[in-house]
Amino acid sequence: MILALVVITALAFDFTNGFHDTANAMATSIATKALRPKTAVALSGVLNLVGAFLSVEVALTVTNAVVKIQDKSGAPKAELLADGGSTLLLIILAGLVGGIVWNLLTWLLGLPSSSSHALFGGLVGATLAGLGVAGVNWNGDGSKLDGVVGKVLLPAVISPVIAGAVAALGTWVIFKITTGVAARFTENGFRWGQIGSASLVSLAHGTNDAQKTMGVITLALIASGHWSDLENIPLWVKVSAAVAIAAGTYLGGWRIIRTLGKGITDINPPQGTAAQSGAAAVILASSHLGFALSTTHVATGSVIGSGLGRPGAKVRWAVAGRMALAWLITLPSAALVGAVMFWVGDTVGGTAGALVVFTLLCLASIAMYLRSRTGKVDHENVNDDWDGAESAPADAAKLPAAAV
Amino acid sequence: MHNLGFALDGAWQVLIAGLALGAGLPILFALGIRSLAWGAGAASVTSTGVTTATRRPLGTVLGYALFAVVIIGVLLGLTFIVASGFGYKLDFANLYPTLVAK
Repeated sequence: MILALVVITALAFDFTNGFHDTANAMATSIATKALRPKTAVALSGVLNLVGAFLSVEVALTVTNAVVKIQDKSGAPKAELLADGGSTLLLIILAGLVGGIVWNLLTWLLGLPSSSSHALFGGLVGATLAGLGVAGVNWNGDGSKLDGVVGKVLLPAVISPVIAGAVAALGTWVIFKITTGVAARFTENGFRWGQIGSASLVSLAHGTNDAQKTMGVITLALIASGHWSDLENIPLWVKVSAAVAIAAGTYLGGWRIIRTLGKGITDINPPQGTAAQSGAAAVILASSHLGFALSTTHVATGSVIGSGLGRPGAKVRWAVAGRMALAWLITLPSAALVGAVMFWVGDTVGGTAGALVVFTLLCLASIAMYLRSRTGKVDHENVNDDWDGAESAPADAAKLPAAAV
Repeated sequence: MHNLGFALDGAWQVLIAGLALGAGLPILFALGIRSLAWGAGAASVTSTGVTTATRRPLGTVLGYALFAVVIIGVLLGLTFIVASGFGYKLDFANLYPTLVAK
């Protein structure tokens, strides 16, 4: 029963991960009209689906980056299985709820924040509540980049700067090269440049992010004794996680797409090409080097960079600042929700506790969905001018945080 | 703060790779577009007015050659994603990329 709730919640997280991150790949192509909005999200969804199946590597140890509930092989720690794994399942459930709630809230505010950080934050909070301070992997063991500091905090600071520098340089040089070239060459050429680079980002996203959900679900299956193979992931887990992230991507987080594509800076096709290529290169290079980072931070950094690199373009620092603030509080906020959820679930106890946590998640989700109906942003108005337009995300940002 | 050391160590490598591929390839792409336009005789709009279109095959060939380089770069990127997913990695030890098992 608890296991079923964990699986459903994990897939729900995967779904929010999808629609939260559509913007990373497609916001610039939508803003420059290189692709029609619906075409863009469909393309991104398909590539995420393909990407999720491309990787056969087992991402079973995904939680090891921030918490100590598994050993190095991916098996749950033996002392956590003493009670039939129910504490472990509750930690995972509460952590996922923390991640989902934060994803939905930032979506409502139109803020691109990192889904992986939300998940890690939720897990850290739930682990703090369940196992205490020693259960969290704060700083790694000193042998490699690891822990909350090494896998979450440092990359969050460094990766947007790198992506921004790459995109700024690319944009600047491209504008130098193409000044005076007839529009019929640049428009069509950079349209394809954008589509190609955005597709790469989508594919890389599918391979990286769907893995996390697969790892979490498989961990829950092992903890409850329904799976024992540490080398493989059940096929149904793979299929359902891939479908969930692709469906989420196709739904499209229009509020976030709008912020990233129109809010930060006004993007044209050469800038979009430079921004997405920069993002794709940084994402691929980092995963090659084992440097954990968030697609969101990279994509945002490169969009800001493309605004800085184009002569005469303006970056709306108020919007960028609000996003930076959201990044800062992502980990602690998701952790707080995760901790409270664990505490509630643990106090009520057993299956009933998990049910209460799940119900709270449903209520919070419904509340935020209903809130989003006023001031709707969808594929029809995603590209409206940022200044002057009744911008829903900006209005929503003034509201007090929705009840969690 | 050993983590800071590791992070900075990884960061400059990512920066170099990012600049080479993330800025370099789009710049080649832009050069390709400029070559194509030049090849079609439409590259220059001067104060004396638009120069009439004289085709320059060299520009067209150069343009497509540059696009080809960009496409090869993108294919390498794709190969990297797929290969690392199936437990291989791209190795540049022989200058040309080869797939080796991890």
